[in-house]
Order: sequence, then C-alpha cells, then structure tokens
Amino acid sequence: MSAISRGDEGALAALYDRYRLILFGLTLRILHDRQESEDILQETFLQVWRRAGDFDATRGRAFTWLVTIARSRALDRLRVLGSRARLADEVVAHSAVDDIGDAAKDAVKSEQGTIVRRALAELPEEQRRTLLLAYFEGLTQSEIAERLGDPLGTVKTRMRSGLIKLKELLRDSARGL
Amino acid sequence: MEHREFQDLLALHAVDALDASDRGRVEEHLASCAACRAELTELREAAGLLAHASPAAEPSAAVRTRILDQVRKEKELGTVSSRVIPFQTRSASGLWPNALRIAAAIAFVALLIGVAVLWRREASSQQEIARLSQQLDQQNQELAHNREALALINAAGAKKMELAGSQTAQAARGTFIYDQATGRAVVMTNGLPAVPAGMAYEVWFIPKGHSPMPGKTFRVDASGHAMTMDQMPVEAMQGAVIAITLEPEKGSASPTGAIYLSSSAS
Repeated sequence: MSAISRGDEGALAALYDRYRLILFGLTLRILHDRQESEDILQETFLQVWRRAGDFDATRGRAFTWLVTIARSRALDRLRVLGSRARLADEVVAHSAVDDIGDAAKDAVKSEQGTIVRRALAELPEEQRRTLLLAYFEGLTQSEIAERLGDPLGTVKTRMRSGLIKLKELLRDSARGL
Repeated sequence: MEHREFQDLLALHAVDALDASDRGRVEEHLASCAACRAELTELREAAGLLAHASPAAEPSAAVRTRILDQVRKEKELGTVSSRVIPFQTRSASGLWPNALRIAAAIAFVALLIGVAVLWRREASSQQEIARLSQQLDQQNQELAHNREALALINAAGAKKMELAGSQTAQAARGTFIYDQATGRAVVMTNGLPAVPAGMAYEVWFIPKGHSPMPGKTFRVDASGHAMTMDQMPVEAMQGAVIAITLEPEKGSASPTGAIYLSSSAS
C-alpha cells in the first residue's frame, strides 16, 4: 500500500490482480448487476490509488480496507439505484438469505470462500441471517428488526454474538483470507 | 450510556448497521475509548471476511485496463504539480512571501499560456467548423442538384438526346434529357477539354427554323465531366437541336465560339 501511495502503478495492478475476484464477487452479490459492479470495482481501485496514503496498517489489514471501500460504495450505489426494495422482495421470495452456498453463473471457486461459508454454516440461523442482511443489503438495526420481526435488542445481541463467533471460528485461517 | 452499552453496539457499527440516532454517540465514545477502538478494529476485520461468503467472480478484463489508464493519466497530471511543490517546501520561512510571489508568477504565466493555447485552439476550431459547414452546404447543394437530375431522368415523360463531339472535341460525349411535361432539362458531358481561364461552356437550344437561344454556362472537372440543369421552352422542343460551344465566362447572347457538342436534329 505504501508503494501505491508513492505512485507505483505496478503495485496497484498487483493489488487488483490479487483481490479482484473477491471484490467483484462482493459487489456483484450486493448489486446483482455486472455493469454496476464493474463500475464500483473501478471506483474502488481509483480511490485506493488516490487515498493509499490514508491507509493505516495499525487499524486493520489492507484486505479489510479494500473490502470496506468496495462494500460501502456498492451499498451507496444500491441506494441510489433505488432497487433496494425490489431486491429485498426478491430475497424474501427466494429465501436467499440462507443461500450462502449458491454460486453465481460466473462464480469462481475459492478456498477462502469455502472456509468462510463453512464457518457461517456453524452459526445459529438467526445470527447468520442478521449478519448477512446487514452486510450484503446494508440494512440497519431497526430495518433488520422490522424485516425479521425481532426486537431491536435481539438484533444487537445477534449481531455481536454472530460476529464474535465468526471471528473465533476464523481465527486460525484468517491470516490466509 | 455506559461503556458496556457502547461495547454492545460495536458489532452493529462494524457492519455500518447503526441507526443514525446511535451512530453519533458511538463515534463520540470511540474517540475517547481505546479499548472500544481496538475491539471495533477486530470486529471490522471479522466483518470483512464476510465478503468471502459471496462467490468470487471474474470481472471483464476491460476494468483492469480502465483503472490503469486512468491511473497513468492522473500520474501525468500529478508530476506536473509535484514540480511546483518542492519549490515551496524548500523555501525558508523568511522567504515565504518571495516564494509565494514566484509561485504565483509561475502559476499566472502557466495560466496565460493555457489561455493562449486554448484561445488558439478555439480559433482554429472555429475556422475548421466554418470550413466544414461550408463544405457541408456545398455538398448538400450538390446532393439536391443530383437528386433533382435523377428525378428528371426517371420522370415518365423524359426524353433523351445524345450529344456527339464535333471536330474540335472528338472524344467528347454528352446526354441531354428533358421532361416534356415541365421543360426541365439536364445536360451531362464527358471528355470535354478543360476550360481555359475566363471561358465557360454554354448550352444552346435551337428550335427548328429559329436562331439559337442561350442556356446555362458551366465548367467541367478534370475528366471533362459536368452535369448542369436548365429549363427549356416545352412548346418549341419538337425538332430542336442542342449545341454546346465555348464562350466567355459570363455567357453570350448568341454563339461566338466553336461547337464542341451537338445533337442531330430530331
């Protein structure tokens, strides 16, 4: 990342080559649209290029920073597109919330994916549902509560327990993810 | 709110799921609580791993190209500005006003050059646009002309006369077509000699038993080709002869030059 902040475009290209699959998978999952997702991917790496100096290694890994940028941009776009309600309907209709193993047409099998999906499968269903609604659909605590018919406090607890459990399950393998 | 209560909200914050009402207060607490900041970092790392729960997918190769093209473009712009920055940072504090003045002067000169370049570009663009629109007008006229000629040639009452080259222009050929209903006529020539300066070919319409009536003047291209439209008196067409002579550019009232093309009387 420091090479990128010094203007080394080769370093940016290497970063792209390493993370494009997972980041594109993420944006595609959020937006369900290749064109939009590719735009977000492009914006993400241009932001990385311009703001690499802002990256602070003491506040997390580069991967987390990248994922955070890509996800928040994708969720912003989703809101702009106003397709959130439509997608939510689809999700409910297809119960896709639990559909964590469903591979898209252009999906690429990845070992990390397998590990994370396996860990997610070990979480109680309510925790998993809560995590995925927030992460991939950008729903807030009260929106999740409304969607699932749970009290706000329950959503808060499930989010915390789920995330901590996930962290523990992935502690050993997290370095390689 | 107690520290413990804030701590319970950190997981929601890690996935940006806090409602707006809580977000500000949590941010405020984080600013003063190192333990919560550390825990938030860990929870964010865990949340980031959720990205792996979506199936990895391959974007099109064009995305990589677009990113790197853009990056190179920005880099070029960046090197221009980085040439100016060291100039400022090098100056001692006492020299600031001078350095600023010089930097401002450089910026001003750069601006002037930029304006001049843009102005010239603008001026030459304007010329180019004027030239192109003139060309377009001309082509539109030619096109309209050609359409009219085609319509005439294809008209139901169109009558055709062959024009043969005279002794002066044996290689020349021509066709005269006129619409018996309207008198509109088109003359097409091939192989006429190039027109000397100040001269033009002139079409003559010679009704049977009458003196020649002047028609249009025209010039030919490099291959002696021309196409010109004219209007003929319909009632006098029977037995009329068409001739083409070389005349002064402005045209003559009666033929003065040699005949280059003529039809045989019909």
